[in-house]
Amino acid sequence: MFIIRNRTLFLWLAVAIVVTASVIVGVFSLKSGIDFTGGSLIEISYTSVPEKAVVESALAPLGLGTPRIRRSDTNTTNGYLITVRDLSLEERTTVEAALTSLGEAGTIIRYTSIGPVIGAELRDKAVWAIGAVLLIIIIYVAFAFKGVGKPISSWVYGFMTVAVLGHDILVPVAAMSLLGYFMGAEVDILFITALLTILGYSVNDTIVIFDRVREKLIQNRTEHKTKIIELGGIERTEVEYTLTKPFDELVGRAVSETMTRSINTSLTVLLALLVLYFLGSAVTETFVLVLIVGVFAGAFSSIFIASPLLVVYALWQAKRQPITPPRK
Amino acid sequence: MTDLYTETKQETFIRRFWALVTLVVLIGVGWFVYQNATTENAHFPFKLGLDLAGGSHLVYEADVSKVAPNEIADLMDVLRDVIERRINVFGVSEPIVQVEESSFVSEVKQHRLVVELPGVTDVAAAVAEIGKTPLLEFKLIDDEALLKQETTANRLASTSTNEVSSASIVATTSGKLANSPFIDTGLTGRYLTSAALEFAGGNGGQLANEPIVSIVFNTEGAELFERITREHTSERLAIFLDGEMISAPNINEPIIGGKAVISGGFTPEEARSLAQNLNFGALPVPITLVSTQTIDATLGASVIEKSVLAGAVGLLVISLFMIGWYRVPGIIASIALTLYVIINCAIFMLIPVTLTAAGLAGFVLSLGMAVDANVLVFERLKEEFRSGKGSRAAAHEGFKRAWSAIRDGNVTSLLSAIVLFWFGTSLIKGFALVLGIGIIISMVSALMLTRVFLLSLPDVKKSDGGIWPFLFGTGLKK
Repeated sequence: MFIIRNRTLFLWLAVAIVVTASVIVGVFSLKSGIDFTGGSLIEISYTSVPEKAVVESALAPLGLGTPRIRRSDTNTTNGYLITVRDLSLEERTTVEAALTSLGEAGTIIRYTSIGPVIGAELRDKAVWAIGAVLLIIIIYVAFAFKGVGKPISSWVYGFMTVAVLGHDILVPVAAMSLLGYFMGAEVDILFITALLTILGYSVNDTIVIFDRVREKLIQNRTEHKTKIIELGGIERTEVEYTLTKPFDELVGRAVSETMTRSINTSLTVLLALLVLYFLGSAVTETFVLVLIVGVFAGAFSSIFIASPLLVVYALWQAKRQPITPPRK
Repeated sequence: MTDLYTETKQETFIRRFWALVTLVVLIGVGWFVYQNATTENAHFPFKLGLDLAGGSHLVYEADVSKVAPNEIADLMDVLRDVIERRINVFGVSEPIVQVEESSFVSEVKQHRLVVELPGVTDVAAAVAEIGKTPLLEFKLIDDEALLKQETTANRLASTSTNEVSSASIVATTSGKLANSPFIDTGLTGRYLTSAALEFAGGNGGQLANEPIVSIVFNTEGAELFERITREHTSERLAIFLDGEMISAPNINEPIIGGKAVISGGFTPEEARSLAQNLNFGALPVPITLVSTQTIDATLGASVIEKSVLAGAVGLLVISLFMIGWYRVPGIIASIALTLYVIINCAIFMLIPVTLTAAGLAGFVLSLGMAVDANVLVFERLKEEFRSGKGSRAAAHEGFKRAWSAIRDGNVTSLLSAIVLFWFGTSLIKGFALVLGIGIIISMVSALMLTRVFLLSLPDVKKSDGGIWPFLFGTGLKK
């Protein structure tokens, strides 16, 4: 009940988070990687790594625009990640030759080149994919909660779930902006994958709570049947339900009863992600970090945002349009 | 209430017998996985994606602007076959050559050819080899238009000091000009059945002993060739190789039988390699490389090593958490989770699913998700058990009541995995597939396997006292 009683506090907290995250995204903004803009990425590893300035001056005369050079240092690779514009095959050979001649035992371990058209297509697809997932979730939740009826329509549950997902997405996007600004992390196809995974997963916790709300609503209501005789003598029974307890109390109980499972389900996933972050490969490090932030945000939002939002909506609706007393 | 779930001794025995059978069968599957993963040249090895095994991923864009829309699909298949044959020549194990279309959401409609070459990291050589596949075209010459262009070209040539042959200028720009002197005939290398190096006999305007390439068209090509030569007798038919005109002989008479000769001042070596390349297949449409990806195998090896370690530690940590919090049911969940890993690995081998770095991360992630359904059931079980129900009745209730939440949660996850599969490039498709399979198998392991094992445990009540309430309790409370 604590959460529902202090719902105003938590909703303001949520507003604060959303505003902060939006400001972070606005100020630092996401750094688009070559997956979306097109371009080439070269990863080179050395046994003895040359200075960054040496690499810069070796690339300068090749006319590549302004290459971005980042240090990549994991326990298997030790060298640089270099991002340049889309290269032709000949240009690539010259660049690789220039790079391997530096330092000691330079080997190109990764080369990716993406044409601008493919990049643009992927960007479109990413937007569509996220939109499609959100739409599917609204429709599915509305469908799954069909028949909940009073006092809130099942579509509201759907839109509520998605509103909460907006928060779940915004927080990792803000985290990515910070990572991009301070560590040079770029938005690549893996980042979009992480976002889509968060969308699919975060909705689970919200559904668990809504599911309990649904159960409480069905347990605590009385049925009123009224027979209506329509034109032509066809008899139709209309069923109306009245809740025997206030809506906010039922939601509050649903939240506190499901609290442990909401926390535990996210905790097991966080455990797996933390293990991956510390022991897993460097290739998926940023991907895992984004997932950790997203799962955390998802767990927080389903407990502290989704249900208070539901109650606030119900009260607002009741004020606007008083529930008619059941017909006798 | 409890009476509903009271079983006779016989029923309990049957239940336990089946639980044992399930366990033995799945341990057998585990042995199968272990065997295939550790022995070399196994029947069902794990299939590693390019980022793990090392290799190259090339995307070509096919220029189909001159092809009728209803022919595109056929032509792309021809293109795929040609490139496949070409790749097989230089011996790559299990190359993948696929035709792909840009998705319906993108503004530009493109037809692409995706080439994956496992183990090939010298992409320059690979691209050069694929690029050798010649593009052969036959075009009619509109002499009037040619004359006009030649004069402009000559004017251009005279203003610049470079001596440029008019033919090559025209040939390279022919596609873009409005009234091009070269008219597409539709006859291209796709209609070729064979090509051979020959030496000219010295008639028909050719030098004696000049190396030439004789080509034979297939039936369709022969008919087309015959029609063109009949309708355009006494005009000139230009032969283009990779966009450059190499000769433009006169059509003296309709040619029946589908044989033609390409001559154009070749050296014997040039003619031989042209004949060879034509035999491997000529490209039906021009292609350009739009995306390249090369990954060294060393990078992949470390990814696998680390992912396996992360997977093992992840399994252990999650199991410890489940046992610590849920005790006896937690042990059951840990066993089910281990079986989940085994079943998944077996499916990865049998389908086979292409494993990628992201896919492996996804699999470790799915370990955490797989026990979610267990958590939901066990929390419910605890509530029922505390209210005084027998452990078995509580388990029954737990599975029944938790079902709707588990279903709704998994369906949304599964739907987003499907969207991911559509969205992704081949490397992301691997992740989506791993996630999707994981979700389905986790339902099996968390609902069916856990149920079978949990229900074969002795039926106890909270009021029985002793250690039992603790074993079926949860969390920090007694």
